[in-house]
Amino acid sequence: MAILEVSNLVKRFGDVLAVDDLSFSVAPGEIFGFLGGNGAGKTTTLRMVLDIIRPTSGSIIVLGGTPDRRKAGSIGFLPEERGLYSGMSAIETIVYFGRLKGMSASDARSRGMELLERFDLAVRAKSDIGDMSKGMAQKVQLATSLVNDPELLMLDEPFSGLDPVNQGLLENEILRASERGAAVIFSTHVMQHAERLCDRLLLLRKGRKRFEGTLEEARAQLPASLTVISRGDPRSIPGVAFAHRNGEAQEIWQEWRVELEPGVAPERVLEHCTANGIGLRRWDERHASLHDIFVELVGGEGVEQ
Amino acid sequence: MMDNILLVARREIRQILTMKSFWLTLLILPVALALGPILGDTLDDSEPARVVVVDRSGGAAAAALEARFADDDDRDILRSLSRYVQRYGLESADPGAPWTQHDRWYTAADIAAFREGGGIESAIERLEAVRPEGVPEFEPDAREYEFQAPPPELAAQEGEGFAEAARELFDSEAKDAPEVIVLVGENYPEDPRIGLYAANQARSSFVTALQDTLTGDLRTRLLAERGLSAEDAAAIQAAAPAIEVTTPPPGDGAREALLVRSIVPLALAYILMMSLMLSGSWMLQGSVEERSNKLLESLLACIRPEELMYGKLLGGLSVGLLMIAVWAGCAGIAAYATQGVIADMIRPALEPVSAPGIILAILYFFIAGYILISAIFVAIGAMVDSMSEAQGYLMPVLLAILLPITFLLQAILAGKEGLLVQVLTWVPLWTPFAVLARLGMGIETWVLVGTGILLAAAIALELIFLGRLFRASLLATGQKPSTKRLIERFRAQKQ
Repeated sequence: MAILEVSNLVKRFGDVLAVDDLSFSVAPGEIFGFLGGNGAGKTTTLRMVLDIIRPTSGSIIVLGGTPDRRKAGSIGFLPEERGLYSGMSAIETIVYFGRLKGMSASDARSRGMELLERFDLAVRAKSDIGDMSKGMAQKVQLATSLVNDPELLMLDEPFSGLDPVNQGLLENEILRASERGAAVIFSTHVMQHAERLCDRLLLLRKGRKRFEGTLEEARAQLPASLTVISRGDPRSIPGVAFAHRNGEAQEIWQEWRVELEPGVAPERVLEHCTANGIGLRRWDERHASLHDIFVELVGGEGVEQ
Repeated sequence: MMDNILLVARREIRQILTMKSFWLTLLILPVALALGPILGDTLDDSEPARVVVVDRSGGAAAAALEARFADDDDRDILRSLSRYVQRYGLESADPGAPWTQHDRWYTAADIAAFREGGGIESAIERLEAVRPEGVPEFEPDAREYEFQAPPPELAAQEGEGFAEAARELFDSEAKDAPEVIVLVGENYPEDPRIGLYAANQARSSFVTALQDTLTGDLRTRLLAERGLSAEDAAAIQAAAPAIEVTTPPPGDGAREALLVRSIVPLALAYILMMSLMLSGSWMLQGSVEERSNKLLESLLACIRPEELMYGKLLGGLSVGLLMIAVWAGCAGIAAYATQGVIADMIRPALEPVSAPGIILAILYFFIAGYILISAIFVAIGAMVDSMSEAQGYLMPVLLAILLPITFLLQAILAGKEGLLVQVLTWVPLWTPFAVLARLGMGIETWVLVGTGILLAAAIALELIFLGRLFRASLLATGQKPSTKRLIERFRAQKQ
């Protein structure tokens, strides 16, 4: 059973259509990437799941019911815009958020200390947030979203502003949450993290879903390109969209840059060449990267490799 | 829901308690109250004005002047003694003495009797014999004028030289330098001119007494010159009606009673205003910090905006009540430490506010006032991104609240219950202040109930609309809330 199920979700702010007929679901243990440029509707969707704002239409079923603050105890959320009370200590901050999620003070404290130790911050547990570096404060904020061992962990642009070490730490936490069965949704426009972590992806453009599926399925959205050295002209091979000669024309062996028609698997073309005696000396496949897919489906704005 | 409100309230309280400004403010009032009397005593000029009379006409005029001022001083002492005896019911100290009588203007005969009876020393001795525990000792006021012998360097001068010598004396830094010099000429009363030299503007009471005395002396001499015996002339001059005085006992006069009865209610209104302004600004700071530190979204993922707002209000209210409890505790300690003195003053002041119904009304209007005004501060905090931006909203709001209250308190101190007081009583924004301040004057039960119901309805409406504004403004960072947008937010049910 899905932990989160969104159906035909629409959100309007006046004349602006922020989310347009969006549907998706996330299962336990799944890491779900929510990709889109700035203003694609990622944050708005997450806020609706958290019941911070209400949808114009459509439905959201989260943890078996409609969005409600009473479910805060099973949800972890790391917002894109981060900040904490500068006058509170790290451990007090974690305990405060733990208690707001319905935990007892002692449970929140022991779980908070456990997280701070894992994040190498145990010695700064009693330091005020205002006295900490930005990186330390971000780790404390991550701890506030994990303190309740959430069943649904939602991270809005979690990697922005993190140094490479903390990015690695965050990736580990995402994998750890997934391993213990939590559904993890994170929005990002950094494709590397999505490629590395996500079981499934959803690409949004101007509030509308452009793609949902696995990385492989996403790659299949774009035609594969090949570099081949062949003895014949590959343009006549079925499934080849077009082929350009690389370099000057040769008498026998010619290098070609070949682009296949969408949905055509390179293996099928290779099979055809073998079956029809087309001589090959080189066969390099180049799969579309998530970046390419993103640019193709969503547009180039706001995307980082 | 309540758990979250309490958690937010507790965090608010802890945050405010860590502020230095909170502790400074908390201590300012008790310190000011403690320093007030000390500074008052220091600033109070209890030294008598030093007077020198140079009488070149034989000394009779100087003697008459000294006698007149001595009489005035003794009359003042008699009056103070009489008020003291009447207030504490100590007539048994000396039932026949003039200072245990309260029904007359003291005549020369009364003053003479007082002096014959041993004067102030004897009166205090007798009072001490009957003074019960807890009644403060009688402390006579300092005499207004002290007469000094003319310094030789002044007495020897004539004409311009005299004026010059007087100026030098006034300018000298000697502690016993005279402040007023009176010159009675050699040919007085034939030449009735009297010279009056003063270091500063001469007190009108002194000039009046001087004129009265010397006029009386002149007339007595003239009557004697016209053939009357000295005794007859003096008798004519001393003839005066016996004025019977009827005044309410201390604390019972209409004006005095009103002031005493209004002390606690006015103080309550003032304390409500002061603690509201302080804790309101702290709440505002907290709200602005949450917005500028961008931690609202994390909070709103766990709790509802209403819980956040109510938690803040409860936190602010608790801090305000804590401050008032500390101030009341300090007042109690001061009352205990000074034994009967303050307690005696406080007792009549507490009278109008000691009935259980009135205590309930005070609590109700106090807490309701707190919620009503604090909600405005919290809503402002939710709309702005910085304290400087908050000032733009704060100033008009503060003026709208404080200015009418200033007029209200003045009107009530003057014993007026005119249109302004009535209007302010029924407009919910000022109702808590007006009702609290009017408790001393007496306020009709139907007004109390009516304004209470109206106030509750206003708070309910305010919480609905400001709640909408709070909720709609929380995540709208970086947006300048125009009037149109504010109206939209007031109307927004849920985004």
